[in-house]
Amino acid sequence: MNAKKLLIEPLRKTNPVTVLVLGICSCLAVTAKLKPALVMGASVTVVTAFSNLIISLLRKGIPSRIRIIVQLVVVATLVILIDQFLKAFAYDVSKQLSVYVGLIITNCIIMGRLEAFALSHGPGESFLDGLGNGLGYSLILVIVAFFRELLGSGTLLGYPIFPQSFYEAGYQNNGLMILPPMALIVVGIIIWIQRSRHPEMQENNQK
Amino acid sequence: MKRDINSNGYIFLYSTLLVVVVAVLLTAAALWLQPYQQRNKDNEQRLQILKAAGIKDVDKNNASERFEQHCTASLLLDEKGNVTQDGALPLYVIDDEIRVVPMKGNGLWGPIWGYLAVAADGKTVVGATFDHKSETPGLGGEITTEPFQRQFAGKRFMNNGRLVPLEVDAISGATKTSNGVKEMVNRTIQQYAPYFEQR
Repeated sequence: MNAKKLLIEPLRKTNPVTVLVLGICSCLAVTAKLKPALVMGASVTVVTAFSNLIISLLRKGIPSRIRIIVQLVVVATLVILIDQFLKAFAYDVSKQLSVYVGLIITNCIIMGRLEAFALSHGPGESFLDGLGNGLGYSLILVIVAFFRELLGSGTLLGYPIFPQSFYEAGYQNNGLMILPPMALIVVGIIIWIQRSRHPEMQENNQK
Repeated sequence: MKRDINSNGYIFLYSTLLVVVVAVLLTAAALWLQPYQQRNKDNEQRLQILKAAGIKDVDKNNASERFEQHCTASLLLDEKGNVTQDGALPLYVIDDEIRVVPMKGNGLWGPIWGYLAVAADGKTVVGATFDHKSETPGLGGEITTEPFQRQFAGKRFMNNGRLVPLEVDAISGATKTSNGVKEMVNRTIQQYAPYFEQR
């Protein structure tokens, strides 16, 4: 497989969130605002890329009966190390991230890619696959957060978008958008659009 | 001779080795980075104390310096409000007037904390700051924002010698976090009340 395909495909046809439907839990939790979505996307991308790389390097020595445990240990170590470094050298970022450290470790995308890809591919390919999937995840997160923050709080990255005259004319922020169920609905709409544009993704049309 | 990587012996060896390597790695990182982390934490604490006291133009770069300038005393109190060496309740005096006390409590997912600054009269809140470990961003996480914290400025917690609860707007959708803040603020005021009553 060539490098470009590994990197680009997860953004579209094999997107971890909309096609594989992994990582939905964190998608609900962090998309109320755009900024945490960006932080979470970036950290998951780093962790998937490097855990894929490490597991791929170790893959020939890992006993298959304890491979899930080994994967968890590697991912958890990586996340904790990154968190420790950020706490020491980039305190502001670490404060933003602190909420997500636990979420990153248990993110299904990371384990999913380790199981499905890194255990059977070389380090270079695995690294790109991790990077691609992390970016695919971030893309959906950012899209969902964009709509939730815009419609729910009337802001983007904390800056107000709608002029005061809108509110005076009777426009109101939709408080429902801030609550977790709306993330599922937005993800559902994205899946709907994606599937209707790519008929080959619909189960009935597969042949 | 090639080892069977699925034999019990190999699995034990592999997992033992893995755990030792990881443990050494994490311990080394923790020990090496601790001084840097502590410095950041102290800095953050000073920043929050000064912010609660309403000191303008402090940021993370000059927090320590400003703290030295403004903090005229840091005391320890016992439950009766007397200043002692081994009291359990810390209190910071800013510019000889404002008293800043730390607060600790529980939010929905984890600990929340903050600082409450009280004016020289011992009855009025000058300002408050809050922070949290893992509240939901956009809901409970909003306690760190300026609009929420601003509500506390100017509220009185003592009226005619009696403690009265502070009344501020809670955050809709974050009932548990809001209740946590309420409990934390009221409990802290109660603990420090003997000290403020003496003044």
